[in-house]
Amino acid sequence: MELEKIRSARVRGIMLLFICLLGIALIINISWGSIKIDVQEIIAVLKGQSENVVHNSVIWKIRLPRTLAALLGGAALAVAGLLLQVFFRNPIVEPFVLGISSGATLMVGLVILAGFSFGMESISPYLIIVSALAGAILVMCIVLLLSLKVRSIVTLLVIGLMVGYSCSAVTSILTALADRDRVHGFVIWSMGSFSNYTWDQVAIVAAVIIPFLAATFLICKPLNAFLMGEEYAKSMGVNIKLFRFVVVALASVLAAIVTAFTGPVSFIGMAIPHICRILFQAADNRILIPGTILGGAVITSLCDLAARMLISPIELPISAITSIFGAPIIVFMLLKRRTDMQ
Amino acid sequence: MMLQTRDLAVGYGKKTVVDHINLDVLKGQMICLLGPNGSGKSTILKSLCGFLAPLRGTVYLTKKNLSHIKTSALAKKMAVVLTERFSPGLMTGFGIVSLGRHPHTGFLGKLTDKDVNKTLDALRLVNAEDLADKLFAEMSDGQKQKIMLARALAQEPELIVLDEPTTHLDIHHQVEVMRILNKMTKEKGITVILSLHEIDLAMRSCEIAVLIKDNRILAYGPPEEVIDDSTIAELFELNTAHYSNLLGSVEFCSNSTNHGICVIGGGGTATHIYRLLSKQGFGVSTGVIHENDIDYHVASATGAHISREKPFEKISSEAYSQTKKYVEKASFVIDSGFPVGSLNKQNFALLLHALKQGKTLFTLRKQKEWCSQLYEYRQKINTEKIVFCENSRDLVAKVAHELHNSKGRREPW
Repeated sequence: MELEKIRSARVRGIMLLFICLLGIALIINISWGSIKIDVQEIIAVLKGQSENVVHNSVIWKIRLPRTLAALLGGAALAVAGLLLQVFFRNPIVEPFVLGISSGATLMVGLVILAGFSFGMESISPYLIIVSALAGAILVMCIVLLLSLKVRSIVTLLVIGLMVGYSCSAVTSILTALADRDRVHGFVIWSMGSFSNYTWDQVAIVAAVIIPFLAATFLICKPLNAFLMGEEYAKSMGVNIKLFRFVVVALASVLAAIVTAFTGPVSFIGMAIPHICRILFQAADNRILIPGTILGGAVITSLCDLAARMLISPIELPISAITSIFGAPIIVFMLLKRRTDMQ
Repeated sequence: MMLQTRDLAVGYGKKTVVDHINLDVLKGQMICLLGPNGSGKSTILKSLCGFLAPLRGTVYLTKKNLSHIKTSALAKKMAVVLTERFSPGLMTGFGIVSLGRHPHTGFLGKLTDKDVNKTLDALRLVNAEDLADKLFAEMSDGQKQKIMLARALAQEPELIVLDEPTTHLDIHHQVEVMRILNKMTKEKGITVILSLHEIDLAMRSCEIAVLIKDNRILAYGPPEEVIDDSTIAELFELNTAHYSNLLGSVEFCSNSTNHGICVIGGGGTATHIYRLLSKQGFGVSTGVIHENDIDYHVASATGAHISREKPFEKISSEAYSQTKKYVEKASFVIDSGFPVGSLNKQNFALLLHALKQGKTLFTLRKQKEWCSQLYEYRQKINTEKIVFCENSRDLVAKVAHELHNSKGRREPW
């Protein structure tokens, strides 16, 4: 019991820290860039009191929607990763393990590379979003249906991986056969980016992500029972079939919506749950769910900042930044911790 | 009536593992499934927990059909302890045990004061209060198992089902686990159904034993009634070992056909010698032993050639002359240092006979005692052939030396 008390003090401390970091990340994301805008000016612009036309349009049209998208997207990916890691009881699972990003990539590949652009001169960003969403949802539906059929969770994991491989295979065939110009555009898309978010898009993403994040709080109790495995969870009164469906659905929708608008963003979904487990010293999902939401938002927005700042004006792919900075941190933390988590 | 099964068949898919299961388990009873690996103990337990649907027949829990009870309602009646290992990450003992409160907590699973108290009560009942703050991953197997028992207890069930709860545990923790389970049945009236490998643990702690083999229930009833030497031998297909119900343990039979060592003992002095020799693979014949002697039971369990006498009878001349033959055939004789009394005087005479025959005699008897006994028998004996051994370790060393020498003598020259 003593340890539990010490831990809950620690948890409160880190939560507070994360909230502060969230504020700081929000401010510097808006403030830093090719044009530096100081905090007073930001407040003035947000209040609508600034006369500076450039500042107004940079903040309102570019930086604010982008920052909000990164915060939302990071939170969604991190929570999706956490859900699936607990569900599969496997620490190296990430939100795309069930083939969602591969499905989205395949559909986008079909549009960009194979020319299913319905004779349009240029490919509209909305067409890409719709096709990515369609691919993600298609894969998600297959996996969801199978989640009700298969007996073992591991089988489900393998099925997800296989769907992913098949989609990637078709995508690579398309890439091999396509024009060079188109391949470049496709590769850029497949590296993921939070740029070019419009307010409409932010609104759609928020409208999906916020209620789904709220819904994950509702399953934290059965998710905790699941820490001991499926049979124990069942013996403690968890409706396994329903729970499987809900977890896979929540994680897939969160991952799918981010992928559709941003492209595949790797690493966040796998790493943030780890970082939170080590920081909070906890396995209790009632702590980890809010923890990963805050952690995912903060770290993704900072990575996005780094992606556009490091060698500006060229923008680096976000996945590169998350992996380059994240991987050593994870390894360092794993080496330092006391006990094995899995 | 806590749990009943009627003509239950369990298995996976189309494959029936155990058929025709009819159990009646009363409240507060401890019932144990006993059988070899792969006999279907776990399959039965999984069906009783509702993890597996029965292939035929029905399980009734407090007279209700198990498959009609909702999972959430079932969780308040039944808790399980499985063999499956799991790693719950950075969770303390308290954290794991409090998960058992799952069916009783609210929508978000927040522990109330009552839940915390129940969790601590459960830890206390399994003597694991000191493990509350320890990380589960850092615990020993025995400690982990105690935490799992406490978790099941925190669920406040009427029935606990355990799959081989003593596997991987040392003898101390095996006993502790069984005592805790016994305490649960006696103090809390919880019904316990478990599977076991250890026959002796089952004998000593369970009210009802169910023996399972070859897709069916071999026997069902109080262990005192259903467990005897032959049922155990049949159950586990023991060929090279022998289970003795009286000893409550398994003795390894020596497969040697040459019964070249004659051990003269009695009064429990020779048990370790029989075990030692059979462990080394030697065939043993015995001096006269009374049938009520523990030496008799160990000797027969290890597969020795025995010359026996009825309980509390003086050694008869028939038995004596049979043993004389054993002594004459033996390459050497071992005296366990048995107490010499009026009923077994003849055994000492056998030792003298061995010496007269020129046999080497290893003895655990003190020299002083030999002198006084020899004085009583008033016999002149060649004592050069007597090898005095300090203790059984010394005895083994000297016997080994002797065997080596006798082998050496057979070298061709």
